[in-house]
Amino acid sequence: MRWRFIFNIAGVLIFFLGLTMTFSLLCGLYYKDASVAPFLQSMAICMGAGLLLCLLFREDRSKHISQREGMAIVAFGWIAIGLFGALPFYLGGVFNTFTDALFESISGFTTTGASVLVDIESVPKGFLFWRSFIQWLGGMGIIVLSIAILPFLGVGGMQLYKAEVPSPVPDKLKPRIRDTAKILWKVYALISVAQVAFLSIGGMELFDALCHTFTTMPTGGFSTRNASIAHFNSPYFDAVIIFFMVVASINFSLHFQLLKGNTLAFWRDSECRFFLGAVLVLTLLVGFNVYGHTYQKIGEALRFSAFQVVSIVSTTGYATADYEKWPAMSQVILLLCMFLGASAGSTGGGMKCIRVMLCFKYCYKELFSLVHPHAVSHVKIGGRVVHEDVMRSILGFLALYIGLFAVCTVLLAGMNVDLITALSAVASAIGNVGPGFGLVGPVENYAMIPYGGKWILIWCMLLGRLEIYTVIIFLVPEFWRR
Amino acid sequence: MKIVIIGAGEVGFHIAHRLAHENKDVVVIDSNPEALRRISDSVDAQVINGSGSSPMILEEAGIKEAEILLAVTNQDETNLIACLVADILSPVTKKLARIRNAAFDQYHEIFREHPPHIDTVINPEIEVVKTIERLLSVPGAVDVIDFADGRMKFIGIRLEKNDRLSGIQLSEIPVKIGRQRALIAAVIREEELIIPRGKDRLQAGDLVYFISEADRLSQTLSAFDKTVKPPKRVLIVGGGRIGLRLASLLENKSIYTKIVEKSPARCALIAERMNKTVVLCGDGSDQSLMQEENIQEMDAVITLTNDEETNILVSLLAKRIGVPQSITKINKFSYFPLMSAIGIEQVVSPRLSAINTILQHIRRGKVLSAISLKGEQAEVLEVIALATSDIVGKPLKNVGFPKGALLIGIIRDGQAIIPSGDSIVNPDDRIIIFATRQAVVKIEKILTVKLEFF
Repeated sequence: MRWRFIFNIAGVLIFFLGLTMTFSLLCGLYYKDASVAPFLQSMAICMGAGLLLCLLFREDRSKHISQREGMAIVAFGWIAIGLFGALPFYLGGVFNTFTDALFESISGFTTTGASVLVDIESVPKGFLFWRSFIQWLGGMGIIVLSIAILPFLGVGGMQLYKAEVPSPVPDKLKPRIRDTAKILWKVYALISVAQVAFLSIGGMELFDALCHTFTTMPTGGFSTRNASIAHFNSPYFDAVIIFFMVVASINFSLHFQLLKGNTLAFWRDSECRFFLGAVLVLTLLVGFNVYGHTYQKIGEALRFSAFQVVSIVSTTGYATADYEKWPAMSQVILLLCMFLGASAGSTGGGMKCIRVMLCFKYCYKELFSLVHPHAVSHVKIGGRVVHEDVMRSILGFLALYIGLFAVCTVLLAGMNVDLITALSAVASAIGNVGPGFGLVGPVENYAMIPYGGKWILIWCMLLGRLEIYTVIIFLVPEFWRR
Repeated sequence: MKIVIIGAGEVGFHIAHRLAHENKDVVVIDSNPEALRRISDSVDAQVINGSGSSPMILEEAGIKEAEILLAVTNQDETNLIACLVADILSPVTKKLARIRNAAFDQYHEIFREHPPHIDTVINPEIEVVKTIERLLSVPGAVDVIDFADGRMKFIGIRLEKNDRLSGIQLSEIPVKIGRQRALIAAVIREEELIIPRGKDRLQAGDLVYFISEADRLSQTLSAFDKTVKPPKRVLIVGGGRIGLRLASLLENKSIYTKIVEKSPARCALIAERMNKTVVLCGDGSDQSLMQEENIQEMDAVITLTNDEETNILVSLLAKRIGVPQSITKINKFSYFPLMSAIGIEQVVSPRLSAINTILQHIRRGKVLSAISLKGEQAEVLEVIALATSDIVGKPLKNVGFPKGALLIGIIRDGQAIIPSGDSIVNPDDRIIIFATRQAVVKIEKILTVKLEFF
């Protein structure tokens, strides 16, 4: 482990983060609000600290990065960025404690969208912009962005990429990792532009359109309004946002193929079919469940159920309705959606459809070999055999996911948080969703959670965003052994 | 620039590594996921699991946009078929194939003219025999590289304790050895590449790289207390394909050759093919056999069996008995750094030879050849000086050469010149430049030559 190297890269990332604050600064200047001074201070701190780290820990960057170092760089990089990203909130007095500022920042970067802000609309616009913008940065991945922009990460980029975007079946769009990263960001930016356009056409203010795009595309969920999307109460905006949430939770390599002219890309990908099918079936189930109970018109029932199902399964976490008033079955479906999550290679969180799908296929294979003990059968996806070691790592992942969920829920419940709140808050944090049930429901927020609980949730959000292994590996003593 | 490599073995791995380092788009195809994992872990290249000779896989790899296809699996048939399929799918792609079977030796030209239109066939065995031949021509040299069709030689020599030059400052060398100047380009000391300056001292144990005109080689070598004495008696241990090739080459040069081979059947075959060579049936590591055959009288022992350990041991044995030169064939790349530690200096490897040849062949355009030294820390490039380039038309001492780069040779009208500070490069001269990996990019700029392939 070359610690100098890890600190060096962390320095670069922090410096870089300071640069991205320029946009929020400009926003603050435009609205002439109280966010200007805190942003100037934060930029100075970030760039100063970043430069200092870079200069103190100079290191030959052309060397090969080992898998272990890749994980360490990504994990430390994310923690550092979360810490420094919290500076504007803290210095600007948006929150009284650093814990709250950090919670908001980590919730932003990990695209969770769980907020501890009680009155969002009273906060100066510069901070609101930053709050949305960090979700956009975190969505496609800070490390991926760095790989695309910083030339020196090219050589070891693959290790970093794998640590930030762990995918059960890795796909490189281009031979070089840098080109792959560039394409992903270009596609991401392009779709974001489209969403801003659609929202503006519908008459949303540019500031709101930008902020909501910045939190839809990464499936983040921060809103600039206290009532989230319900504030606008417009079927058009609901439809636009549903569409882009679905887009954001589909593997971005499929978008790339579509843009290249492969129109059947979505249909050929079995994970995408599974995801779209799940969204459709669950929407109908929830729709008919709430029809006659909460909503008297079938159209209304389907509109709200579609929005809520997509919002949760894509792990965005916007709200147009208080789903806690919905019948129990709908609530349970939404809770389970938090676990299912979006597709691999998308900006969404959760367990990811492909893992759940492969897990079911594996279970079927086990049953099949009980009936035919001599049969030779493989788990296949899209006609290709999934290797045994890939399958093992997926099962390991699911086991860890559930295990960590259980442990964190017990810890949170130990802090006098009620059952439903503890359960859903942890599920929501690990899945990077945002709202949960009970005290952290769609119309409430996380301000009520005790401080210890907030730290647990911060940890859960990081676990979820980096897909567990990259973060949990630091708890394994073997990792530290020389 | 896209390059498709079929075969993720040692050769494929190292070529992919080199090319990806130079920011080329590399796609590697192999049917072995383990081998691919090694590549995707440490090389920035795309990997595809499947058979390289399958049209579907080649299409998936993007053969149509690829400029070069390298078929370097260890199966000749796979390589040939891959080239054939690629020729159908994408006729413009330049194809290089590794083909080892001697039966194809006569067909290298034919393959170029007719389908599968393989531009260059590389036979690692032929390349390794060439390397052995070069090493034999300069006894005591660790590395011998030819430039300008052999008119210039770039030689690496290990400095011994009692050599005249050890402990000498570079600037004192002309005084010490008189008239002839040998331009020392680099020194490898404890696996570290150093570009020595005037006041640096050479030390015993250094591996010194210098350039010399071919016709003045013996004078230059005498400064290093080495003599050019072509070997007269050579013992080859191991009668495999390389052994056989080498033996017939040596026989043609009328060098007295003995060849030791374990398998009686193989011995019979070699004896059938050879006229003057003495074929011995026995184990190369058998000391009594070696003594019986007067191993101590040999000028060189070349160990070419398929067993690395046997090769190493026989070479060490020969060295102890007092054979002046021993050349050892090693396949495992991980052994290379250990060799000088146990006193084995002259090492050849078919794979390494193949890698160097392939890289040389795909670097084209104004770059005539490029050779990498020890662990790819530096390159030696042979290029044509363009009239537009900064180095042309003024004394070299006024040219702002980047740190880590050195002009070590000029070839003008077939005449090799070792430059001094007052030398002037004319347009269209062929120049030889030594550059560390970091300096290569800056050299590109100075030469206004893109070090592109083609």
